[in-house]
Amino acid sequence: MKRTLPLLITIATYALAFLYFSPVLWLLVTGFKTEGEAIIVPPSILFEPTLENLRLVWDAGASAFIGHSAIVSMTSTVLALILGVPAAYALAMLKVKKADDVLFWFISTKMLPAVGVIIPIYLVLKELGLLDSLIALVLLYTAMNVPLVVWMMRSFFKDIPYETIEAGRVDGATGLQGFFKITLPLVRPGIISTALLCFVFAWNEFFFGVSLTSTNAATMPVFMSSYMTQQGLFWAKMSSVATLAVLPALVLGWFTQRQLVRGLTMGAVKG
Amino acid sequence: MKTDSKLARGALEPSSGARGLLWPGIIMVGIITQLPFLYTIYLSLHDWNLMRPDLGVTFAGLSNFGQILSEPAFWEVLKNTFFLTVFCLLLCLAAGMGLALLLNRDFFGKGIIRTLFVSPFFIMPAVSGIVWKTVILNPNFGFSAYITGKLGLPAIDWLGKYPLETIIIVVAWQWIPFFMLVLLAGLQSVSPDLMEASMLDGANRFQQFFNVTIPHLLRYIEVALLLGLIFIMQTFGEIYVTTSGGPGYSSTNLPFYLYRLGFQSWDVGGASALGVLIVIIMTIFMTILFKIMRKTFGGELS
Repeated sequence: MKRTLPLLITIATYALAFLYFSPVLWLLVTGFKTEGEAIIVPPSILFEPTLENLRLVWDAGASAFIGHSAIVSMTSTVLALILGVPAAYALAMLKVKKADDVLFWFISTKMLPAVGVIIPIYLVLKELGLLDSLIALVLLYTAMNVPLVVWMMRSFFKDIPYETIEAGRVDGATGLQGFFKITLPLVRPGIISTALLCFVFAWNEFFFGVSLTSTNAATMPVFMSSYMTQQGLFWAKMSSVATLAVLPALVLGWFTQRQLVRGLTMGAVKG
Repeated sequence: MKTDSKLARGALEPSSGARGLLWPGIIMVGIITQLPFLYTIYLSLHDWNLMRPDLGVTFAGLSNFGQILSEPAFWEVLKNTFFLTVFCLLLCLAAGMGLALLLNRDFFGKGIIRTLFVSPFFIMPAVSGIVWKTVILNPNFGFSAYITGKLGLPAIDWLGKYPLETIIIVVAWQWIPFFMLVLLAGLQSVSPDLMEASMLDGANRFQQFFNVTIPHLLRYIEVALLLGLIFIMQTFGEIYVTTSGGPGYSSTNLPFYLYRLGFQSWDVGGASALGVLIVIIMTIFMTILFKIMRKTFGGELS
């Protein structure tokens, strides 16, 4: 009895995990089925995989929207790091007046919902002729992710043992040189997880995307939603598009899991 | 020797350069995410419909606010937002705790199992909405129809009949992993010494859970609830692709209501007034939650 109970709990955990993941699994599998096979319930497990749907949706324009998503997500991530990492460094390592106020200001910007600023942003972009442009999304996603970078990176900088920096200083690495030679390499894993998380958030963002873009700059989620209204009955094709849409964020998400808690809670809790 | 990091580090580097490092980020975030809100306030006091450029922009005082507050739809939407947020948070907390406890054990394949549970969090809201709408809930071809058919029951049109409840489930599916991860981090940071000490004092497993583990977890619960509140109140994509807020306003929440006003009716003044109201309502929500947490658990939360 004492040995079987843990075993039963483990088996139950497996079953639960499979159940919880099954909508995702269904999505990833159905994209490789024929339309006829896709609507069979319960889903067939043994089938001959086909790349036909993937080819069809790719030709139907999915490639362009993936491109938009990739450009916007990568550029905004790099910009958010360029702006956020130095700020995080200053807040963690230097003597800054009212450092706590600055830090809380950054997190408070996350509390202002996007709907509170969308109308002015729409009007200004319209005035500037930047509606439906990649630049607009890059700027928005950068600003959205800078607070995340500041909070996450600050907690990584704080983790560096004091002695390490002091040792570097004794060796003559000071100022900028010290920053690039000693401090930055120490937080490289942190920078990578931060970047991955920024990328995922930008990739999945929907509200700004759907409000501000149409054909020229629409990202994958926006394309997905319009694709569904037109082709929602073609499950196999829809699943192929959806697979293309979710796979990058899903895979990167898996890689950044270990630092996820720290990132999601803005460094308030370490995982 | 443990030094106070702030003082020691401050002394380490000259701080004159700090401002140059901080300001670019502050300016960028301020201009794009904060400044527009002032313009929202300004617009909320004006009448402006993009579909009627002939009417121009006229000062309207507080009439936009009056109009929204006298609209029955607004109160329905407010109620929906409240239900969606509260029930989602409760569901996430309960299920997240359950999963965290399951994963806080040693067993074979733990990493993979965790990955499976975490995955829905990374699926973009637009896609999760679509998958649930078609695969699981479609009254003709969906999995739920298959199950009800097997049981000899009539198929249920989930999104037509229970739109808000269904959206709550979809949103919870995405956010339970977040709660699970935060609570798991909490469970894993309980000091083993403390557990051992309580065991020696004769506490059984349940006493241990409620008297040692839970008090330790409060900080984590608080963080999860506050962040969950911020994001779940802003639910948008799931609604957009499943019900478009309908039937009527029965599954419209505040952000989606603003989208309808602004981007379907093109009522700039009205949507801006609603934006201001949403910010006020969110602040009130958050302050209340924060106060309740502090009041109830004041002793444990330092």
